Amino acid sequence: MKLSIGETLAKFLGARSVRALALGLAAAVAATTLPAATPASAHGERSQQAFLRMRTLNWYDVKWSKTEVNVNEDMELTGKVHVFSGWPQAVAKPEQAFLNVGEPGPVFVRKASFVSGIPTPRTFSLEIGQDYEYKIVLRARRQGRYHVHVQINVKDGGPIVGPGQWISIKGDMANFTNPVTLLDGSTVDLETLGIKWTMTYHFLWMAAAAFWVIYWFMQKGIIARGWQVAAGKANDIITPADKRFGGLWLAGSMLALLIFYAHANNEFPRTLPMQAGLLTGIDPMHEGPVTVISNYGGGSYKVRGRELTIKLKITNNGTEPLKIGEFTTAGLRFLNPDVFTTRPDFPEYLLADRGLSVNDPTPIAPGETKDVVVTVQDARFDIERLSDLAYDTDSQFGGLLFLFSPTGKRVKLEIGGPVIPRFQAGASL
Amino acid sequence: MSLATGKAAAASAEQADVIVNYRPAYIAMFCLGVFYVGIRIYEQYFGWKAGLDSFAPEFQTYWLNIMWTELPLEFIAFCGIGGYLWKTRDRDINAVAPREEMRRLLTLVGWLLVYAFTVYWGASYFTEQDGTWHQTVIRDTDFTPSHILEFYLSYPIYIIAGWGAFMYARTRIPMFANRISVAFLLFFAGPFMIFPNVGLNEWGHTFWFMEELFTAPLHWGFVFFGWFALAVFGVVLQVLGRVIELSKEFESDVLAL
Amino acid sequence: MSITTEAGAPAGKAWKSKEEFLGCVILTDWILLFVLFLVLLGSYHIHYMLLAGDWDFWIDFKDRRMWPTVAPIVAMCFAAAAQSFFWTKFRLPFGATVVTLALLVGEWINRYDNFWGWTFFPISLVFPSALIPMAFWLDVVLLLSGSWLVTALLGSMGWGLLFYPSNWPVLAQYHQAAEVDGVLLTLADLIGFNYVRTGTPEYIRMIERGTLRTFGKDVVPVAAFFSGFVSMLVYFLWWQFGKWFARTDYLANDEI
Repeated sequence: MKLSIGETLAKFLGARSVRALALGLAAAVAATTLPAATPASAHGERSQQAFLRMRTLNWYDVKWSKTEVNVNEDMELTGKVHVFSGWPQAVAKPEQAFLNVGEPGPVFVRKASFVSGIPTPRTFSLEIGQDYEYKIVLRARRQGRYHVHVQINVKDGGPIVGPGQWISIKGDMANFTNPVTLLDGSTVDLETLGIKWTMTYHFLWMAAAAFWVIYWFMQKGIIARGWQVAAGKANDIITPADKRFGGLWLAGSMLALLIFYAHANNEFPRTLPMQAGLLTGIDPMHEGPVTVISNYGGGSYKVRGRELTIKLKITNNGTEPLKIGEFTTAGLRFLNPDVFTTRPDFPEYLLADRGLSVNDPTPIAPGETKDVVVTVQDARFDIERLSDLAYDTDSQFGGLLFLFSPTGKRVKLEIGGPVIPRFQAGASL
Repeated sequence: MSLATGKAAAASAEQADVIVNYRPAYIAMFCLGVFYVGIRIYEQYFGWKAGLDSFAPEFQTYWLNIMWTELPLEFIAFCGIGGYLWKTRDRDINAVAPREEMRRLLTLVGWLLVYAFTVYWGASYFTEQDGTWHQTVIRDTDFTPSHILEFYLSYPIYIIAGWGAFMYARTRIPMFANRISVAFLLFFAGPFMIFPNVGLNEWGHTFWFMEELFTAPLHWGFVFFGWFALAVFGVVLQVLGRVIELSKEFESDVLAL
Repeated sequence: MSITTEAGAPAGKAWKSKEEFLGCVILTDWILLFVLFLVLLGSYHIHYMLLAGDWDFWIDFKDRRMWPTVAPIVAMCFAAAAQSFFWTKFRLPFGATVVTLALLVGEWINRYDNFWGWTFFPISLVFPSALIPMAFWLDVVLLLSGSWLVTALLGSMGWGLLFYPSNWPVLAQYHQAAEVDGVLLTLADLIGFNYVRTGTPEYIRMIERGTLRTFGKDVVPVAAFFSGFVSMLVYFLWWQFGKWFARTDYLANDEI
């Protein structure tokens, strides 16, 4: 048969368009399911009000054991957290809290987590005013470069995000395995366990459902049946044969279900209910006797200068002279260059290594009570949006002040209180 | 008139007299499908890259710019479709011949197909992908990547499709033009009301800033208005009723099936 | 035979021939099936995900008490409404099945393409609840009895009772236990713990926490019976909802 040019072209175009469509669909499916995630930045903490970030959980000594790992390799995220005494009224108290990780999907799996040495796969309580040490063991799963934060979720309070660090994962997620030893001693790979069977089971039932629908639909469609019902012949439509088929269908379905059920019970004779309930008995860190006392004497925040100025009366009841070396709040660290002569290893976006100064640089001697004015100033206030403290409904700041002795001993002080915003340039405390 | 021209004219007349043509609906669905797959691919890349922190400059570039573009376009499309259908309405609606009425009823079915397709993408696909995103990451703004594509793109699109179907019926089909079908009104207005309900959702989330619990009462407004899509039952029955009226000559054939 | 429009104006035939009519009916039947399938999918999915979604999303929400109570009750709404429409208007005994299949199609597309394809959660964490065997039960009870009253009583109870057995064949493997750092966890708990959800902490789980004492370890039957009972009430209500939405009345133009 000879085809006209038009027909040939139409055929050709048809085949081409079908091929293009198939290729396009394949590309679309691949693109939506396979590509590597591109780098992620912060995790939304910057939208939280400043007072909330400063006066709930104060993170310190946060460490990431590695910043480059291979797929299947472990790293540890460790640190301490202080539960601020002046916990804001707007946030529920951390009576139910969960140690979490801020990461873009499960690029790391959390193999273990501990608070004060107690495993915390479940929810636990934190006490206001106390400090806790935590450790999270993470196993690299998906290749890429990701920002990984420590985080504690507080029930009815929301996620409270700690500092984050860029971590590179090398390798291929296809090689990731997640072996777990069961109580009976056997080992399973949790990454793939049961997925094929789950999909098979579901799709079998769905195929059966599609058959059931199409079976009835193909008999008379929708319009003709509707017409027959509208004409008053509803009771003639379903025949005894239809009922017999339905009965058999149901019997077959129930029999299949019974077999599936019995098979599952046979294959997994020992199963337990999911485990839940609040973990209790988590002790806070045991810190030595309090040797330094501070009284907050007011403060101000210069919005334009991104400068927090704090008046403190500090009494040193210890045995060594102390210098103010660091102020930390909302994950940010402001360091006094007089004390920190070398830059510590900490994420750049949170570390203001010259961000803290004291009006009187001499140490506070043992037994001395001294009035000091601490100035915390850095552009990171703006970048992390803590400048918005001036616009908060509860304009109080909070954080931890660290003092250091010549022998390297560190003393931690919780400080906080109301601050007055200064909007005009040149305003002073 | 030449013979060839005459044949062409006859073929053209034959074509013009086609009673049912769902091809425009198929094309619309294909275009929408390609568009949705495209934005889903965009989301795959730029969700992680630029969508986690609403204060980052790249969030403005890759996400907020989409929102500021889509919202006016949707408003224009809504007004444009409604305006066009109204402007070109049948001004002698009661003089429509049965064959033309049947053709319009079937065209309406095509509109309903497009509407149903957009309802799927909006209410099912993009609504649950919103859960995917918000239960995985921290929700730090009302305008998260998933919201920009769900609330402010896929919802307006199904609203526009529903509006088009409703207006098509109101302007071209006598039974829907002369009176207002309660079912059709519910079918269009219920899902439409999901959109204003976004306001309640954002109000609650902004003030409470809690984790994303999908079954939270804050979300139940969406459910209530989602129920109104069941009014598709009434619309189908009304269309079917009229098809039966216009096809009485074949009643005995149909009843004998 | 001539036909007049509602207004009684021009007469004429709608169809050129019987063949044209039948061809159009067959094609439009399919279109209507798709319209109903897609609309029910969207509407049912938004209903189900926002009333029972958290249990349906995550393996570590699929417990013995809350999930088998809530999920069937919530799912019953659309099954009843769809049966009401398809049975009374078309005598089609697939209302519950078609709407349940629609829901599962929507869920599976999402779980695979988004939960796995976008946020990388393994399917074992995010597969939906199986509902099809319950839908078969409900549809066949209606088919055999021809009575929505019988279906409400017998069908709904079966609907509630069948939920857990329908899911157990895949769930059982995830309820094997492991000891992790001295803590007892089921694999379902462990999957939830391992695969980090930054926005979904553990305390958000609304699951059994061991307060149901009367029946010892047999929690599921109690939950299932209760669920079946409430499903009966829901069936009555939503059958009527289905009827209400299948209305064919009109308002005068000046009434709105």
